[in-house]
Amino acid sequence: MINLRKKLMNQPLKKIVIVGGGSAGWLTAGIIAAEYATNQDSGVEITLVESADVAPIGVGEGTWPSMRSTLQKMGISETEFLLECDASFKQGSKFTNWKTNGNEHYYHPFTLPNGFNEINLSSYWQPFSDKISFADAVSEQSHLGAHGLAPKQITTPEYSFVANYGYHLDAGKFGQFLQKHCTIKLGVKHVIDHVTKINSSATGDIASITTKKQGDIFGDLFIDCTGTSSLLLAQHYKIPFISKKHILFNDSAMAVHVPYENSDSPIASFTSSTAQTAGWVWDIGLPTRRGVGYTYSSAHISHDLAEQELRNYLVPSMGKDAAHSVMIRRIPLNPGHREKFWHKNCVAIGLAAGFIEPLEASALALVELSARMISEQLPANRQTMDIIAKRFNDKFLHRWENVVDFLKLHYVLSQRTDSAYWLDNKNEESIPKSLQQLISLWRYQPPYHYDATHTEEMFPPASFQYILYGMNFVSEPLAHKKRVSYTDKADKLFNDNIKKTQKLLSILPTNREIINKIKKYGLPKI
Amino acid sequence: MTNSVLLNNIDHQNLKIITERSDTYGDNLWYAQTFPMEFKSVQAYYPIFFNKNPDTGKFFPLALFGFENKENLFLSDNKWTADYIPAMVARQPFLIGIQALNEGGIEKQQRMLNIDLDNPRVNEEQGESIFLEHGGSSPYLDKVADLLEAIHHGLNDSNDFIDALNEHQLLESVTLDITLNDHSKHQMLGFYTINEEKLAELSSDILKLLHKKGYLQAIYMTIASQANVRKLISKKNEILGL
Repeated sequence: MINLRKKLMNQPLKKIVIVGGGSAGWLTAGIIAAEYATNQDSGVEITLVESADVAPIGVGEGTWPSMRSTLQKMGISETEFLLECDASFKQGSKFTNWKTNGNEHYYHPFTLPNGFNEINLSSYWQPFSDKISFADAVSEQSHLGAHGLAPKQITTPEYSFVANYGYHLDAGKFGQFLQKHCTIKLGVKHVIDHVTKINSSATGDIASITTKKQGDIFGDLFIDCTGTSSLLLAQHYKIPFISKKHILFNDSAMAVHVPYENSDSPIASFTSSTAQTAGWVWDIGLPTRRGVGYTYSSAHISHDLAEQELRNYLVPSMGKDAAHSVMIRRIPLNPGHREKFWHKNCVAIGLAAGFIEPLEASALALVELSARMISEQLPANRQTMDIIAKRFNDKFLHRWENVVDFLKLHYVLSQRTDSAYWLDNKNEESIPKSLQQLISLWRYQPPYHYDATHTEEMFPPASFQYILYGMNFVSEPLAHKKRVSYTDKADKLFNDNIKKTQKLLSILPTNREIINKIKKYGLPKI
Repeated sequence: MTNSVLLNNIDHQNLKIITERSDTYGDNLWYAQTFPMEFKSVQAYYPIFFNKNPDTGKFFPLALFGFENKENLFLSDNKWTADYIPAMVARQPFLIGIQALNEGGIEKQQRMLNIDLDNPRVNEEQGESIFLEHGGSSPYLDKVADLLEAIHHGLNDSNDFIDALNEHQLLESVTLDITLNDHSKHQMLGFYTINEEKLAELSSDILKLLHKKGYLQAIYMTIASQANVRKLISKKNEILGL
C-alpha cells in the first residue's frame, strides 16, 4: 500500500489539461508551451478543452508591458499580433474627475519616474505641486499622452520601445489568434467539447474530465480557465469565494463598442477612466473602434440610471441619436476571489480565480503571472505539487490583497462629495487595514523601494506615487535633515526630463500614424 | 526643399548643371543609398553597411563616406577623391518621376526623367548643358538617363535582396568604435551589417538560392568592404593632420 502511494506521488507530471479557452486558457497554454517541449516523450502534453457552447466574456482589452515579453517568448510576431488582434499601444491610464468632479485629470504612465532607482523625486516635486503635475515633472510619458503620440517609431524593432508600453486589444480576436498560434506552432492539443463530468481519483485529485463526444480526458494537472463559473475549483471542489464588495463596491458593468468618426480619427494611447456618480467609465481605443463600459455599484445606482449615465458619456463622440440607440451589453460582476487558487491537482487562472474591476487592467496581468509561475515552477511530480501549490496560494493571495489595496487607494483619495458612492468609499470599514496603515505612513514617508515587501509585487512603489500625487496627496517634507543635499541631483533629473520630453515630442508619430505604417510596412524584427 | 518637375526641352532648354563636388552642392553626405548591382564598384572604395529608412522602417544598403552627419571624407578641394561615385549621388539633381498614361484604354505607368529645380546645381550660367541647341538631349543627359534606369532596376533588386536578408536573419546591428591617431574615440551607432554567424549556418539549399540571384556575391562583397573602414580612419587622420 505504502509503496503504491509513493509510486503514485513520484509519477512524473506529463499531461496538463486546460479547461476553458478565451484569453486565460490560451495565454496559459502558450506560456507553458513556449517553455516546454510539447512533442517529445520527455516534455509535457498540453491539451486545451473548451466548449463550443460557452462564449468567452468578450471584454478585458488592456494589458501591462509584461505582455510584450509574454508574446515574444511564444515566438509571436508583434506585427502579426497588432494587425490580427486589432491592437494598439497602451502607455498607462488617464484618470478624469477622480479628484473632484471638475474636469481635471492625471496620468499613471508605465514609465518609472526619472532616476527612480537612485533618488525619490517626489519630495523634490512636492513644493511645486501647484505649478506642474507629478507625472509631467518626473516622466516624459504623460506628455506623450497629452499630445496623442505613440511610444515607438516605424524603425523601432518589434517589442522594443521608445517609451514603455503594453497593449489595447480586441479580446475575442486575441483568444482566436493565440489559439491558432498555440495549436499550429506550439503543439498544444485542442479539443472542442463540452465537459459533462469531473472524475476523482482515490486521493480526491481530478483523475479525468468526461466530455460529451470525446469521452474521458486524463491529466496530471488541471487548469481551470472556465471563467466566472469556475467549473473545477468552485463547482467541483467547492472552494469558497471571498467577496471584496465591502471594499470595492462595483458589482455590475455594461459594455459597448463605439465607432470612430472616420478611419483617421486619433487613437488614444492611454486607457481612459472617467469617474461617474456611482462608478467609472472605461474607454479603450483600438484602431477600428473604441471599447467603452461603465462599471458601477448597483447598491448606489439603478441599472437603468447607470445606462443613462453611460449613454450621456457617449453623446459628445457619437451624437445624441447614436448614443441613445446603440446596443449596450450588461455584465454582472462579483468582486472578489477564491479562498485558495490551487487545490490538489487543480489550479484556477483568470476569472475562475477571481475578478476585480478593471481600474488598472490587472486581470490579464494576473493571468500572465499565474501561468508564468506554473511554468517556471512546474512540479516534477505529484509529490512536489503540494509544495508549489502552497507557494502559489500564498503568493497570489498576497497579490490579490495588493490589487485590492491599490484600487481602493484611487477611491480613498477622492475629494468628491457629490454622491453617497463617493462618501461611502471613504468609510473606514471599507478600507483595508493594510491600506490605512500605508496611507498614514505615506503622510510622512513617500512610497519607495522599501514598501515592496515581496519579490515581484503586482504594483511597484512608483505606481503608488503616480496615484497619490496625481490625486493631490501631500507627503510632509522629510522630518530629518539629511547630511548631504540632493537638490542638485533632483534639479538635473527634472531638467533631463524636460529635454527628453522635447526630443520625443519632435520625433514620435501619433498612434494612428504608426498603426497605419505598421499595416503598410510592418515593424522591423531587429 | 525639393521642386521636382518633368524635364522638357522647352522650359528647361537653357539649364546647365554644375558637376563640381563640394559642400555647396550638398556633397557633404554621411552616406548614400546603394544597391547590389553596383556593389562591385562601391566595395572597392567604401564600406557597405545598412540602415533603416525613417519613413518606412525598411532596411537599405549604403555606401559610407564618414563617421558622422555631414562628414564626407572623400570630399577635398572641391573634388571627390575616389574613382567611383555611387549612382544615387552621381544622378543629382535628376530623379525618376512616374507618369500615369492611358495607352489604348489601359492604365500604364511610365518612368520619366525629372529634375529638382531647387537643387543648387541647377543654373543657366555654368556647367554641363542638358539640351543641345536644337532641343536634342546632350551626351551628358543621355548618360544621366542610363544612370536613372540602372538605379530603377538596382533599387527593385535591392528590395528583394533586403527581403532575402531579413528572411534568413542575415542582418545584425553593428557599432563602429573609431580611435584616431590622437587617441580620441568616436562611436558610430545605429547601423547594421551581415550576421556572419547566421551566414555560416545557412543550408546548401538556401545558399544555392541566394547564389542564383546574385545575392551571395553581394553578401560577400559587403563583408569584404568592411576593410574600407580603415581607409576612412586614415583619411580622417590625414584631414585632421594627425
